[in-house]
Amino acid sequence: MIVLQLIDVHKVFDEKTIPVYAVNGVNLTIEEGEFVAIVGPSGSGKTTLLNMIGGLDKPSKGTIVINNVKMNELSSRKRTDFRMNHIGFVFQSYNLIPVLSAKENVEFIMQLQGKPLAEREKRTLELLKAVGLEDKINQRPGKLSGGQQQRVAVARALASKPDFILADEPTANLDSVSAENLLAIMEKLNHEEKMTFIFSTHDARVVKKAHRVITLKDGKILKDEILQ
Amino acid sequence: MIWTIAWRNIWRNKLRSVIVITALAIGLFAGVFSMGLYQGMAEMRYTSAIKTEVSHIQIFNKTFRENYDIQFSINNSNKIVEKINNIPKVAASSRRLLSECIVSSAHGTSGIKLIGIEPNREKKVTDISEKIIDGNYFEYTSSRIPTIVIGKKLAQKLKLNIGSKLPVQMLDINGDISYKLYKVRGIYESVDTSYEEMNAFVMYAEMQHQLAIDGDIAHQIVLFLKPDIEASEVASALKKEFPTLEILTWKEINKELALLADSMNQYMYIFVLIIMLALCFGIVNTMLMAVLERTRELGMLMAVGMNQLRIFLMIILESVFLCITGGIVGIIIGWVVIKNYETKPLILDIFKGFETYGYSYKIYTKLLFSDILIIGSFVILLGVISAIYPAKKATQLDPAEAIRTI
Repeated sequence: MIVLQLIDVHKVFDEKTIPVYAVNGVNLTIEEGEFVAIVGPSGSGKTTLLNMIGGLDKPSKGTIVINNVKMNELSSRKRTDFRMNHIGFVFQSYNLIPVLSAKENVEFIMQLQGKPLAEREKRTLELLKAVGLEDKINQRPGKLSGGQQQRVAVARALASKPDFILADEPTANLDSVSAENLLAIMEKLNHEEKMTFIFSTHDARVVKKAHRVITLKDGKILKDEILQ
Repeated sequence: MIWTIAWRNIWRNKLRSVIVITALAIGLFAGVFSMGLYQGMAEMRYTSAIKTEVSHIQIFNKTFRENYDIQFSINNSNKIVEKINNIPKVAASSRRLLSECIVSSAHGTSGIKLIGIEPNREKKVTDISEKIIDGNYFEYTSSRIPTIVIGKKLAQKLKLNIGSKLPVQMLDINGDISYKLYKVRGIYESVDTSYEEMNAFVMYAEMQHQLAIDGDIAHQIVLFLKPDIEASEVASALKKEFPTLEILTWKEINKELALLADSMNQYMYIFVLIIMLALCFGIVNTMLMAVLERTRELGMLMAVGMNQLRIFLMIILESVFLCITGGIVGIIIGWVVIKNYETKPLILDIFKGFETYGYSYKIYTKLLFSDILIIGSFVILLGVISAIYPAKKATQLDPAEAIRTI
C-alpha cells in the first residue's frame, strides 16, 4: 500500500530575487513498511524535502499525497491536524518537552488527539516498554541520556499511530552505542509493526540498515536503490 | 496537559519568575493596601459625618434653605417627629431650631450656626453627646444661665473653657437683634475641625425664647435610620407623606460626601489599574523572553500537531499563572494587613492636617471581599493582556525554521 507519493515536487526559495532550487522535480513513491534513508551532501535538499513531506513546508510546485490526501492543498490548520494524526516526527536534537516526564511526553500527542485516558496510559506504557524505557517513565528529559531521549522521541512519534515516521538525522547527536540501540529499536518496530520509516541522514550506520536508499543531489534524485 | 506544561514552564527559569512574582506581589499589596486604607478613610469620613453632622435625612420648610430665614419653619414639628419615629425603618428623629449668630469672647468674635436641640431626642440621631471631651452634654444644672455645648476648635479660637460665659447675638423672628448669655458646659471634638468651629448646641427651649418664637415649630427635623436602610428609599416615602416639606438625603445635602461614598472605589480601581499597567510591561518582557528562548520547542510542538490556538492558550496560561501566583501572594499579604487595621487603628501622623477636612489620622482600614474578587479578576485580565503580544509572536513562528533554531 502506498503511504506517500511525491509527484514532480519543486521547492524554490527567493523566487523573486535569486531563485534557489532546493528541490527540483522529485518524483517518489514509498510503500507501507519501508525503511528508507534519504542521503546526500549538505545542500542537496534532504531537509527541505523532509519538511515538505512532513507538511511543515509547502512545495512551490507539484503534489504530495499521503494516504490519498493531497497535503499541499490543505490549509495551515488542517495540515497541523493532519501532521498530528498521520505523521510521526523524530528530530536530530530530540526536542522533547523538558517540563514533562518521558511518560507525559509520549502521552501528550494522544491527548492532543483527544484519546481517552485509559487508552493513552496503556499505549504510553507499551511504547516506552518497546523502546526499553519502562523504568524511566517518570524521568524528565534532563535526567535522561541522549540515546534515552531519542528513544522517548521515537515512542512519542509512534504514539499517534502515524502512517509513517520522518526522522531528520536521528543519530547525529548520539554516540555509537546509543545510535546502534536506537536503530535496533526502529528496525524492530519496522519489522514487527510494519511501521514505515523515512530518514534523512549522513550516518553510514543508518544507511547500512536501510532497505532503500535515495540519494539526492542539487534537489534531484540521483539514485534510488533497494538494498534488501 | 497544556495547563501542566504552562504551570511547569513558569518554573523553568526560577529566578526570573520569582522576580516577576515578587514585583506582582508588591504591586498588588500596594494596590490592596491603598484601597483598604483610602476606603477606610472615606468610610470613616462619611460615617462620622452622618453620625455627627448630617444624619441620614433632613427635613425643612420648602423655603427655609433659600436664605436660611428663620421665619420659614416646620409647623407641628413635634407631631411630625412622633409620626416619623413610628416608621419601622427609622431609628430615631429629632427636631431642631437653627440660626446663624455671632459669639464673642475677650479673645475674639466668630460667626457660627447655633442649633437648638432636645438632648434626649438628639442623642439618638447624632453622636455629639459621645464626643464630649470636657464638661458634659446638657446635664441638669441649677444655674440660671443656660447651657451651650461648643466644639473644641471654637473653644481654642475664643479661648473658652468649661464655665466660660459666651454671649450669643442673633436676629429674632421680628428682625430685632437678640442677645443672650450662655455658659459653656460641654466641649465636643469631632473628626471635622471646621464643623467644631462652626456649630454649637443649646437647648431647644432656650433658643425658642431667644428667637422669640412660639408654638410647636422647628427649622429642621433630622432622621437616623436603622442599619442597612437606604436613605433614598425612606426619603421617597416621606415625600409622599409630607409633600409640603423639603426632604433631603445626606447625599443630597453633602455632595462632597456623596461623591466620596460613590466614587472612592472607582478612584481606587483606577489606582490599582495604573499599578497593573506598570506591571504589565514587565510581564510582557518576561513572556517575550520565554517565547524567544523556546523557539525550537514551540516549533516542535507545532510540528507534532499543536495548533496555533493551543500554542496561544499555552502562552496566555503561563502569563495568567504567573500573575495569579504573584497576585495571590500580594492580595493575601494586603488582606492580612488590612484586617489587622480594621480593629485597631493605623495612626498616620502625616494625615493630621486633614482633620480640618473631616478625615481622621487614626484610620480603620476597610476592604470588602467583593473588592478582592474584582482585584483578582484584574490580575487574571493582566495575565491575559500581557501575554497577547508574546503569544501572537509564538503562533507566527514557522515550525520548519523554529525547529532548527539553536
